[in-house]
Amino acid sequence: MADKNQGNIKIDIELCTGCRRCAEVCPVDAIEGNDGSSQSINIDKCVMCGQCIQICSAYASVFEEYPTSREKKLLERNLPETLTEPLFAAYSIGDLPKVKEALANSAKFTMVQCAPAVRVSIAEEFGMPLGSLVPGKLAAALRQLGFNKIYDTNFAADLTIMEEGSELVQRITEGGTLPMFTSCCPAWVKFVEREYPELIPHLSSCKSPQQMAGTMFKTYGAEKDSIEPENIFSIAIMPCTCKKFEAERPEMNTSGYQDVDAVLTVRELAYLIKEVGIDFNSLLESSFDKPLSMYSGAGHLFCATGGVMEAAIRTAYEMITEEPISDVNIQYVRGGQGIRRGVVKAGDLKVKTVVVSGLKNVVPILEEIKQGDADFHFMEVMTCPVGCVSGGGQPKMLLPKDNDISFKNRISSTYRHYEDQIYRKSHENPEIKAIYQKFLGEPLGQKSHHLLHTEYTPRREGK
Amino acid sequence: MGIQLNSFVLADPKKCIGCKVCEVACAVAHRSEELKTVGNMDVPIMPRLYLVRIADVTMPIQCRHCEDAPCANICPVSAITQIDNKIIINEEKCIGCKSCMIACPFGAIELAAAYKEGRPILQNLLTLNSEDEFIHKQSAVASKCDLCIDRSNGPACIEACPRQALSYENVKMEKKRRNAEIVSKTGATIKNFMV
Repeated sequence: MADKNQGNIKIDIELCTGCRRCAEVCPVDAIEGNDGSSQSINIDKCVMCGQCIQICSAYASVFEEYPTSREKKLLERNLPETLTEPLFAAYSIGDLPKVKEALANSAKFTMVQCAPAVRVSIAEEFGMPLGSLVPGKLAAALRQLGFNKIYDTNFAADLTIMEEGSELVQRITEGGTLPMFTSCCPAWVKFVEREYPELIPHLSSCKSPQQMAGTMFKTYGAEKDSIEPENIFSIAIMPCTCKKFEAERPEMNTSGYQDVDAVLTVRELAYLIKEVGIDFNSLLESSFDKPLSMYSGAGHLFCATGGVMEAAIRTAYEMITEEPISDVNIQYVRGGQGIRRGVVKAGDLKVKTVVVSGLKNVVPILEEIKQGDADFHFMEVMTCPVGCVSGGGQPKMLLPKDNDISFKNRISSTYRHYEDQIYRKSHENPEIKAIYQKFLGEPLGQKSHHLLHTEYTPRREGK
Repeated sequence: MGIQLNSFVLADPKKCIGCKVCEVACAVAHRSEELKTVGNMDVPIMPRLYLVRIADVTMPIQCRHCEDAPCANICPVSAITQIDNKIIINEEKCIGCKSCMIACPFGAIELAAAYKEGRPILQNLLTLNSEDEFIHKQSAVASKCDLCIDRSNGPACIEACPRQALSYENVKMEKKRRNAEIVSKTGATIKNFMV
């Protein structure tokens, strides 16, 4: 089946000056053009990570005239006509019109989920310090916007760990394809499908937390609230531009409907909040709705590089040894851009892990695997520099020098928020236990496999 | 008695890649409040230096802070003066007559719409007369590089350039440096061969 989303990252040729700084940050060399000329995106190569959007400084000047008016550009980009911020050459096509339509349609029951990285960045769009932690205000804003259920991707991150941890243990103990790769970063998944299709069996078959949440909304969530799943409109707020592509993948419909109907980036949610006239900074804190919102600290760590690995190790360790892990904080997986290798002893088993942050860094490791030289079991890959907190849909810094400080602050808020959670391990989350008991059965069971796992598509012949 | 020459910012077209970060940094530096994200930029970016792209050369153009500044000489309301070795426009005094734009041989001056705290500054009396309503006209003032006079670290454009293509030109010091360089290169030879 063909992708519905034919690439949602664009470069406005009227604005692009051809400085090619985007090409420097593009992890897949998808940006083509000569120095000083407008660039174009090779959509087959593009993984839609949006790092080009974050670096682009070629803005539309009021002192210049362009063939296309600002009003028309806003329309082309699906941005509100009231938007006052400057427009830059690199952009992603938005989904606000779809979401506004669903919010205005009384026949639609809207369920929204927020990725972990959203609560450590959205306040920046309202002038608060970089990396401010605002889960309560985020929930309050979503409530004021009129979403019917305010759920959380963090819950689904815990669910992902149950499935992915079980899958890892199964592959290790029963002789499956190793090393296993994480599959929550859609840009990484698309990269494997196109550049290394022969390595597809290494990808975990788990859907990403976004897609697991979407599936649960239209099955378990629908049942809970006695709503017909066809009347549910499922929205995800993401730090990521590639999540739009993932949501529109044709196979993402195991609930019987498209699992996620629309994805808004953090920036788009901020536009909506401003357009409606909500004073974000003075919002009184609210909470997310039960049951699809309770999360462990482990689930929240998904937004920082090494976080999925750390959460998975905690759960896999206890699945293997049936004993509690001595120290939940696995420091060696944490860090910045680059590669971090390590070993975790789980009983007699030595589980070797690799964490990769920044998609470019994974290439030598994939070559290592192709040569048959890889001796590790599990690899986490995040496309963006330091994980989802640095995603292409996050608030864009006016000056690139502020990127590093924003990443640092968002990560430190992430760990602070993690420390605040009652549960530190995904499998200890009581709502996760309940959902398996009442609805899913066992991890990797028939129902959970059907709903929460997926398949991948080679995007060209193996090399 | 010598005079202290006005310094200015100059771009090296061999290094400039045309990214416009200098323009964004300029606009951000001239806001009274500290802005970090694009989402907080509630008024148009109105830089005081202008990236120019022609066939073979790309570089930003900005004020040279002329010693005999034609903009200041032509200004009918004396809104342009030299302060602390910088040619500065007093935006309060400016009447938007555009004489300085005509006088500047570099095209370093723009007439920019005026904003305060994210809102347009409207004129008290002058209105745009349309069919059935009077709309107060937005103020517009002459705007040009002030070498970030209010910024402790000096010009924001120099700091922001990812290619270090901008420098703060002190022509007298540069002249002395070149004098010394030429002496160190050729002085000994000249000394030996001078009769």
